[in-house]
Amino acid sequence: MAVTHITDKMKRVDAYEKARGEAKYLCDFHLPGMLYARMVRSTIPRGNILSINLPELPDGYYFISAKDIPEGGKNALHMIAEDYRCFADGDVKFIGETIGILVGSDRGVLYELEKMVEVTYEELPAVTTIDDALEKKAIISGEDNIMCKLECEMGENVDEVLSKADSIIEETFETGYQEHVHLETNSVACAYEDGKFVIYASAQCPFYIRTSIACTMGIKSDDIIVRQMTTGGAFGGKEHFPDVIAGPLIVACNKIRKPIFMIFDREEDMEFSVKRHPSRTVFRTGLDKDGNILGTDIKIYYNVGAYLTSSYVVLQRGVFHSTGVYRFPGARAWGFGVATNCFPTCAFRGFGAPQTLYAIEMHLDHIARKFGYDPAEYKKKYFLKQGEETITQGHIVEKVMLEEMMKQITDASDYYRKVKEYAIGSGKGIGISFYNHGGAFTGNGEQAIIKAKLKLKKEGEKVSILCGSTEMGQGFRSIMRKIVSDTVGIDIDNVFYDNPDTSKVVDSGPTAASRSTMVVGFLCEKAAKEMKERWNEGDFEVIKQYEHPEGHPWDQTTFRGDAYLGYGWGACVVEVEVDKLTKEVTTKGIWSSHDIGRPIDELIVHGQVNGGIIQSLGYAALEKLECKDGRFKQRSISSYIIPTSMDFPHQEYFFVDNPYPWGPYGAKGMGELVFNGADSAYMGAVERAIGRDTFKIPMPPEDIQGVVDRK
Amino acid sequence: MSKIEFTLNGKNVVYDGDPLRRLVDVLREGFQLTGTKEGCGEGECGACSVLKNGKLVTSCIIPVGSVGGDEIVTIEGLRETEQGKCIIDSFAEGGAVQCGFCIPGMVMASQALLLTNPHPTEDDIRVAISGNLCRCTGYDLIVESILLASRKGEGLW
Amino acid sequence: MVNTCYIPKTLEEALVLRKEKKAVPLAGGTDLMVAYKRGVGITPIFPFPVMIVTHLDELKGIRVEEDGTVVIGALTTSVEIARDERVPYFVRMAASKMGAVSLRNTATIGGNIGNSSPKGDLPQPLILLDATVVLQSIDKKREMTVDEFIIKAKKNRLNDDEIITEIRIPKPDYTYGYFRKIGTRKANAISKLTLSAIMKVESGVIKDFRASSGAAGPKVARSREVEKLLIGKLVFDLPSLVEDFVDAWDGVISPHAMPEFRRATTKNMLRYFLLECAKLPKSGIIE
Repeated sequence: MAVTHITDKMKRVDAYEKARGEAKYLCDFHLPGMLYARMVRSTIPRGNILSINLPELPDGYYFISAKDIPEGGKNALHMIAEDYRCFADGDVKFIGETIGILVGSDRGVLYELEKMVEVTYEELPAVTTIDDALEKKAIISGEDNIMCKLECEMGENVDEVLSKADSIIEETFETGYQEHVHLETNSVACAYEDGKFVIYASAQCPFYIRTSIACTMGIKSDDIIVRQMTTGGAFGGKEHFPDVIAGPLIVACNKIRKPIFMIFDREEDMEFSVKRHPSRTVFRTGLDKDGNILGTDIKIYYNVGAYLTSSYVVLQRGVFHSTGVYRFPGARAWGFGVATNCFPTCAFRGFGAPQTLYAIEMHLDHIARKFGYDPAEYKKKYFLKQGEETITQGHIVEKVMLEEMMKQITDASDYYRKVKEYAIGSGKGIGISFYNHGGAFTGNGEQAIIKAKLKLKKEGEKVSILCGSTEMGQGFRSIMRKIVSDTVGIDIDNVFYDNPDTSKVVDSGPTAASRSTMVVGFLCEKAAKEMKERWNEGDFEVIKQYEHPEGHPWDQTTFRGDAYLGYGWGACVVEVEVDKLTKEVTTKGIWSSHDIGRPIDELIVHGQVNGGIIQSLGYAALEKLECKDGRFKQRSISSYIIPTSMDFPHQEYFFVDNPYPWGPYGAKGMGELVFNGADSAYMGAVERAIGRDTFKIPMPPEDIQGVVDRK
Repeated sequence: MSKIEFTLNGKNVVYDGDPLRRLVDVLREGFQLTGTKEGCGEGECGACSVLKNGKLVTSCIIPVGSVGGDEIVTIEGLRETEQGKCIIDSFAEGGAVQCGFCIPGMVMASQALLLTNPHPTEDDIRVAISGNLCRCTGYDLIVESILLASRKGEGLW
Repeated sequence: MVNTCYIPKTLEEALVLRKEKKAVPLAGGTDLMVAYKRGVGITPIFPFPVMIVTHLDELKGIRVEEDGTVVIGALTTSVEIARDERVPYFVRMAASKMGAVSLRNTATIGGNIGNSSPKGDLPQPLILLDATVVLQSIDKKREMTVDEFIIKAKKNRLNDDEIITEIRIPKPDYTYGYFRKIGTRKANAISKLTLSAIMKVESGVIKDFRASSGAAGPKVARSREVEKLLIGKLVFDLPSLVEDFVDAWDGVISPHAMPEFRRATTKNMLRYFLLECAKLPKSGIIE
């Protein structure tokens, strides 16, 4: 073996163990004397618990609830706030809230015991939709059910702009829930080993779990060790949610002192885990007589469910991406996180950006068509450029290559011929979208909150990467080993990077926000460079900590400044045919181009592009998840429809080369970017094919029929 | 309780227990063959795919009592064969593996396809793996990896 | 909680178990194993005795009788049906679009009919073709159309001592045929709506017309009365008859969920098929 260079297309370091079925996910892992746990959950959206009657528990079986939280602890999981209760206590706030867990050795017995638990409630009025909450059908949070909010603006005063406009177009867009459907369900175990609690988890953020449940137990974070297991997909669904399982488990383990496993069935994972935020985005856009945009006033509502989780940060991202990749003379955006008695919503690839990016793209498509412009040409007029102002009155730091990207995909798809050829309403359509994604944590999050660290350790010829970032399928372990191999100039087989164990690695921050390659990978490159220079010093360690580039102010109280240091940029064309009889949509082609700085591995980025785009197309076309009276209607993998290999065709993809100065080898984040725009390109194509404007996703055939039938 | 005899990865084995236990549980917990994964428990996602007499089946909805006398092959058996090695190599080389949870099932589906159609087209492959859900890859690189296996493994099937 | 489970080796043994123990036949397991599952690692518990009949070779295979009747053994799988050119087009299509490869390798025609789900793939074309189901007990054998057999969602006329042994499909006689399944997605899909139709034309006169709608009510919908609206009419008159016909058919289906979509789309497909037939194209399947 030799050095693996950044430009080499590599085999992933974990490909064989996974393909051979040797990789150990939590469900493949056993500990001596282990027990299982099963959740007892609330079955009404809001009410006071009057009684909990347990069946007689066999020997060795336990029911663990809030009263088992030790003295000094707190019935809370410390996520960003401490509002998410470890156990419902006294009242319940949504269907599926953890009331307690049953623990014992036989899963069949636990299954039957759970069915025998009787809970009586005094039902309280609940709000289960954004409308219910805004109409204050019941007050469940603060005075107005708004759990969090923010506002930002740039450019000309929007009220004045709208008062002078020749016309104002007001449009409302809605997006639905989306479930992650990581193929491995949520699973966590807790054991007590050598005087410490050890959590084994399928998770993105081991250090998040530690903080969260140390709060519940009232102990020091260091008294808890979190070990990440091979993680079968996450997409945001395993960012904060593992805490919700780990909390009750550690309380149980504290009492029982035996290893306890909780592995969700698929139905549990579908019905009782966090989702993407349903949204409503309302634009009031002022235009001159030719259809030029003078300014826009945007109101954004996200259904955050009963607890905050990461929703305020998600909402911020939604607001900061609400003007898309465009600069208008004036823009103002208001964001409202609406509390409901629904399962909390949390992180999901894109983290709030996809909802508003979908909305702005459709809004511009509609305005363009109304005034007789081609959507691509119309959007291009407003493309942000380097140095221009964003909605947070910050600036675009990097060169923006959207025009080059647009040319790549319009050429490859033959876009201009097709928009002429496919008459509006002809059953054939082509759509185009542009989008971006701010890399890493918003604003000053990286330097003020996360302060990521990374450690490299040299032992003889071997180098170990010690950091808290996780592999969950995105290829991070491979990329990190490649960076060290290339930078230090050693065989990749001499670079080691195990699944993190919080007692052995340093905290590199969460594996989220498309930050790991860009931020942690950059630390890795810097550490590796130093290691190379000092290679002959024998065995030693190098630790690097995040340093924020100078000259990029941010005010977290007013949301003014450079919200992100760098963005990934994207452009996508989708072509469809809509069956005139059945409204079934056949996707004929998908073309994308992305600016991710400089791609760090051809195959890995290829896989990310393909996967992100298909998830986004599923979001637009198939993945309907309805919540009725606080309960999800689609509760299995056969009723919640994700794409198969036959739903979408082979993709053509491009990149532009635009090295990013603060990323390893010029790389920027991409994991979320590639989710952010195929949905609106698809819907643009569907709109052209059916000759109607649409205002929501998902849009399966029955809903297309509804749009066509609309008078 | 009844005894169910079948062939598992070429060995004669006996299961003595409730014939309505799911094959996936017998494989994973009885025989400790954890390469077969459970993704949904209702035969919809394909993560638990194994071969029964050479045909792809989902082991989460098959009672072990229905495989008496059958030949069952799991990823643990297939990976030791030339055909299995070729598919796995191609998956690694072609970038088909991301989180990996669907992949043992995908490898089984690839084998089932190549056994009957050693030179599949892209469309044949998309049909053959359409019961194996993957949430990471968007399928393109899996499809290309199976095409690669079919080329590299010329003569194996 | 313990299951009672038998694994008969012959049909006769199965019939005895059926009569004496009231054991419910489990063929592929694709419906029953899902219905009674309890979760990861937990054995399903069935509230009735079960007999696993997967290996009863007597009930497998497809044969054609002299008059062209296709006889399909109850334990024949969807993949075997989909691949056999002797099986009428509509049944083959329905079998080939059922679930995904692994399901088609496991699911049986007897199970699909016995489950009697309105979303089941095979009953719809079988009812179109007046196929019959043979029900056997240790004492006797009886036969009825699939249409009679299925009463409504999950309810049928199978007696508790009977087993479905075979399905008999009379040789279809048609000039034009049509089949559509609208699934939840392009593959591995549950039906949102299905439709089959056939028309026999002689010298410009409609001699026979049939249609059947699946997933549009508690059972597959056929109406000989409404079909009669077209029988005996001239093909060239179809354009003027179409609207009355599709309105009448609308009264035959009774979709619960997505009613507007299911009604509008059923009308669209029927209208399309009839207007295509009116053009008197070459005989065969109208795509």
